[in-house]
Amino acid sequence: MTVVPQGGGGPVARGGGGGSSSSLYDVLELILDRGLVIDVFVRVSLVGIEILKVDARIVVASVDTYLRFAEACNRLDLESGRKAPTQLPELVGEMTEGGARGKSKGALTGAVEAFSDSFRKGRDGEREEEPEPAEERERSRPRRPPRRREE
Amino acid sequence: MAVYVYAITPADHPLRLDGVTGVGEPAEQLRVVTEGDLAAVVSDAPEGLRAKRRDVLAHQTVLQELLGQAGVLPLRFGALAPDDDAVTDALRERAANYRDRLRALDGCAEFHLKASCPEDLLLAAVLRESDDARRMNEEIRSGHGGQDLKISLGELVAAEVTARRTALGASVVEALRPLAREVRESEAVGDDFVSASFLVERTRQNAFLEREAELVGEYGEDFDFRLHGPLPPYSFV
Repeated sequence: MTVVPQGGGGPVARGGGGGSSSSLYDVLELILDRGLVIDVFVRVSLVGIEILKVDARIVVASVDTYLRFAEACNRLDLESGRKAPTQLPELVGEMTEGGARGKSKGALTGAVEAFSDSFRKGRDGEREEEPEPAEERERSRPRRPPRRREE
Repeated sequence: MAVYVYAITPADHPLRLDGVTGVGEPAEQLRVVTEGDLAAVVSDAPEGLRAKRRDVLAHQTVLQELLGQAGVLPLRFGALAPDDDAVTDALRERAANYRDRLRALDGCAEFHLKASCPEDLLLAAVLRESDDARRMNEEIRSGHGGQDLKISLGELVAAEVTARRTALGASVVEALRPLAREVRESEAVGDDFVSASFLVERTRQNAFLEREAELVGEYGEDFDFRLHGPLPPYSFV
């Protein structure tokens, strides 16, 4: 699969096949859920895969989620108050206030959530497994030290 | 013997498929079924095919290879025809339709963009900007207020986080929309705030990529932009 290198690589789009499981995950919904359908043909069963379409935002409207958010705020405030109060980024507020322009500096610090375990597993060899549903990805969210995603 | 169908192309597509194999274990050999000025790339269908990683990747690899050579209509993963004759029938019956789509998509490819922002960053912004959220958070921390207050805080914060993600997604899509012929958005999940496909003409591909690279720089390194492409136009067939 073709992945455009991020982070100042310039306008280089590499062609050709190849393919890697890590980038496959991001385009899974396209391959499984879009593309031409010919109605006279039958389709391979995707039992267990349809869950990919689960809308995470719908889940937001539940008491459990509210409690999780409240606890996250509580924890976040405590941690940032103790460690680095001045490093709270100004970026997000500016951007949402500013609407569509999104100008900002690229010097934020803080925890970057690393890619989910499901990605890593895919990359490290479980290639014969069925693609993991998005819900799995939602659940397994280890906090990791700041790091940029590997390309 | 059931036939797995990967793609529809013009019959004059180069269709170079050396070294590329199809779904299944062992991988099935690809072949071409032609009807008039249209062709379909197919293989025998393996028994009990399911959407395994290997097979999904094989499907995508075949299409990626075809896209690199000329226009292609990608089929959704998993299309099975009873036999080659059923494929030629389908090509013949819908020839005008497929021809139109191939013409419409000629010289275009899909780019799919997902981008995420760590939740903590959004939470910090909400606490900084919302007096109500900050007040409730302080109250909870100091041991006052019970479950109800937590739920109220969570509800407020959830709405604010969603609003911020929506605004982030909209600003990214609007920045790229002028460089695309069509845009198709889908629901972003997890920490992602955007999941969008752009149909981009080859002649504007560099401009699109440059603009996207600018966005990556503008948003900074805490934001994770994942751009995939050029891809077969799955979202625009």
